[in-house]
Amino acid sequence: MKKRLYLELENCIGCRSCLAACTQCGGHEERNRNYVYDVNPLVNRQTMPLMCLHCENPACARSCPAQAIQIHETGAVLSALVEKCIGCQNCTIACPYGIPKFDHEQNLMYKCDLCIDRTKDGISPMCASVCPSNTLQWLTDEEIDNKKKQFNLDNGKWVTSMPYLEGETNVKVNLPGILQGITKLF
Amino acid sequence: MQRDKFFKEIENLNHPNEKLIKTHCSYCGMQCGMNLRVNTQTNKIIGVEPRYDWPVTVGKMCPKGVTAYQQTNHKDRLLKPLIRDDASLKGTAEGFREASWDEAYDLIAKKFKELQTEYGKDSLSVFSGVSMTNEKCYLTGKFARVALGTRYIDYNGRFCMSSAAGGFLRSFGVDRGSTLPWTDIHETDCLFIAGSNTAECHPTSMFRIWNVQERGGYIIVVDPRETPIARRADLHLDLQPGTDLALANGIVNQLIEMGYIDEEFINKHTNGFEETNELVKDFTPEYTSMLTGVAPEKIIRAAEIYGKAPNAVVMFARGVEQQHKGVDNVSAYTNMALVTGKIGRPKAGVATFTGQGNGQGGREHGQKSDLLPGYRKITNPKHVEEVCSVWGITPEEMPQPGVSAYEMIELMEQKTIRGLYLLCSNPAVSAPNQNFVRKAFKALDFMVCSDFYLSESAEFADVILPAVTWSEDEGTVTNIEGRIIKINKAQEPVGESKPDWQIQVELAERLGRGKYFSHLKTARDVADEFRLATKGGYADYYGATWDKIDKQDGVFWPCKDEKDEGTPHMFLDKKFYHPDGKAKICALPYRPPAEEPCEKYPLRLTTGRVVYHYLSGNQTRRIPFLHDMCPEPYVEIHPDTALTYNMEHEERVRLFTRRGEAIYKVKLTEAIRKDTVFVPYHFGHEDSINLLTIAALDPISRMPEFKACAAQLEKVELKKVQ
Repeated sequence: MKKRLYLELENCIGCRSCLAACTQCGGHEERNRNYVYDVNPLVNRQTMPLMCLHCENPACARSCPAQAIQIHETGAVLSALVEKCIGCQNCTIACPYGIPKFDHEQNLMYKCDLCIDRTKDGISPMCASVCPSNTLQWLTDEEIDNKKKQFNLDNGKWVTSMPYLEGETNVKVNLPGILQGITKLF
Repeated sequence: MQRDKFFKEIENLNHPNEKLIKTHCSYCGMQCGMNLRVNTQTNKIIGVEPRYDWPVTVGKMCPKGVTAYQQTNHKDRLLKPLIRDDASLKGTAEGFREASWDEAYDLIAKKFKELQTEYGKDSLSVFSGVSMTNEKCYLTGKFARVALGTRYIDYNGRFCMSSAAGGFLRSFGVDRGSTLPWTDIHETDCLFIAGSNTAECHPTSMFRIWNVQERGGYIIVVDPRETPIARRADLHLDLQPGTDLALANGIVNQLIEMGYIDEEFINKHTNGFEETNELVKDFTPEYTSMLTGVAPEKIIRAAEIYGKAPNAVVMFARGVEQQHKGVDNVSAYTNMALVTGKIGRPKAGVATFTGQGNGQGGREHGQKSDLLPGYRKITNPKHVEEVCSVWGITPEEMPQPGVSAYEMIELMEQKTIRGLYLLCSNPAVSAPNQNFVRKAFKALDFMVCSDFYLSESAEFADVILPAVTWSEDEGTVTNIEGRIIKINKAQEPVGESKPDWQIQVELAERLGRGKYFSHLKTARDVADEFRLATKGGYADYYGATWDKIDKQDGVFWPCKDEKDEGTPHMFLDKKFYHPDGKAKICALPYRPPAEEPCEKYPLRLTTGRVVYHYLSGNQTRRIPFLHDMCPEPYVEIHPDTALTYNMEHEERVRLFTRRGEAIYKVKLTEAIRKDTVFVPYHFGHEDSINLLTIAALDPISRMPEFKACAAQLEKVELKKVQ
């Protein structure tokens, strides 16, 4: 059954375990490929991960003049092929979320490949495997549908890919506010 | 066993030429399950893979856990024993030379014998820790009493769990850190969490904790800082550091006032309600607010939520325990569960967040100055007899009780204690009042330190013995829940390093005490003797065999025999461990912190952890990812407070108390009280915040008051101008 990365930003505790785990995926050359931000560090401890959303029509791949960024059959937008990447950095500029990173020494782009050696076989990516707060989860579409029903927000809308994001994404995002619609037990 | 909704069948990724060794993390009491990746050609640990099938943490790990494996083959590992001949270099990392084990053992045996001949048996001491297996903790207690014959043994749990232990013993008559398994936590209706920065110190509890809110339950957090968990809590009681006892009394006052008490439970199963009722009458919301700085309506609301909740769990950690009234704080918060009867059933109870990996097991089996295996008392002749029969000594040979960790350091300074065998601990960072502590270590005639890195404390040693990491030995650990679990060996020891149990057996032989130790040839031999030594004690591990632990995903103590499956939930029969079977509701008069702010020292200083480091930082500061995330300490100050001192974000300032000073970078944040400053304690030498902390000890647990003292700030530039 197809599973997706699902983000519930309300849960993030800023531990950066996802970044530590990213370095541990066999295919990642021990470099982490995503981000965790302090939202307003002088005020409070709110944090949020910024993960590659694996767009269905990814700007990074579209902008690549060398066709170095391939899309896997699972929908994962892969890191640039080493033999094709020309180091132009178009992708880092084109991505609306600033995901692709650039290795100046090797003159190569690198980005999240959704731990393709794991996820191609349905195994949870490292970040979602370890995330202690369930900010990052690895869910079936059915489980994500249940989340939609569960988090019925004030505005009556499921806060996910559209209309806030650039286009449809394989990764589903739930912005802070999930608790607003919860009915208290007592 | 206990596979809940978070459990998912996920297969592990197996890389070619690798095998996975199931084990647990080396760090905190969560003891997250993990698989170590071992290269089958080099037989070295090369990485980590989640352990999805561990029922408590289902594959989850914090950044320390993810990178824990990097400790094993780290470039800083001690590979051979080190000897320093020039004692004038004590307190530095200089002057050590490599030596053989034989030379090191010979020197230790000679020096220990000399000291004991000249100054008596009790001139030696053992200072140990609980970041090691039950088997090692057990043998360390036996080593001190049987091989060295000294009364002076104590351990770093005095800076960690001893107040929880003291409070639970008084309230319940038994000290098991959690009365319920962690797999219950997300199913309760209200979590009342005091003095725990859970998101940073026990991160893998968080998915269960957040789920309480997702289900419509409540989270109440008590903390002077708006920690990540306080930020999202339904109610944040932002008290002044060191005022927990007043707050707990105030909440019990309101629980009684609003009629949330369970009279039947109180009458049948507890003592002490009347005195407590009388005492807490004074703690009205207004009076409690005056003492704690928490708004009265928040106190009332907290009692209302906790009181109404069908099931609730009261949880706490070092924030309430590391005070000179830590034991009273623990019993006072436990009163909330006892007056409402929210204990002794699933999804309700009391729990402390155990700090060190084996903080629970390590305190039960004889490393504490007055305890013997199975939580027996060294002052109880029957208990002494039981243990002597296992050890093969006579009761007359059993040393008297000693003193607590910090008090041992005082005796070193006074030259009553002249020799020290330190293992599994780094008190030259973690003890309070460091200027005094470092002076005491320098005053020792002879010091041995066993560690796998050259810690700040090892810098005071004459001999350093290279120990193994957790991944190079096997044994059991008792986690945060009271669940006995198995640590497995993933690779052979690096260099000439050895497990501490083996070091103790070999050292005992050199000291002429081999007949009590030489039969212990493997970790399993120690385990078998250990289980036997606990048999009949109330922390009975006899039935917790390694096979059973493996089969059942751990065994909760007490577990008395082969058929006993263990005890996940405590007190289901409403029987507590006091002789009359009742729990004690404790009437506890309020005491302020030992050192209150004054004109000269107007700020309240509190200390704690960050998610990237563990305890003294001796392990985590060496891991590149963790170091990069938090390379140095800082002082958290509210912007309004900083304004009165004219201090800016990231400016270096001097923080000082009556005992010491240090220079820290300012971290401005509104997520702290205006009267309070915070510094993380993971750093050594001149960066250590424990240069400033106070050694005011709890009368029962002998826990120092790390969490509250009076301090002042000063601009560094200004001082130069003067």
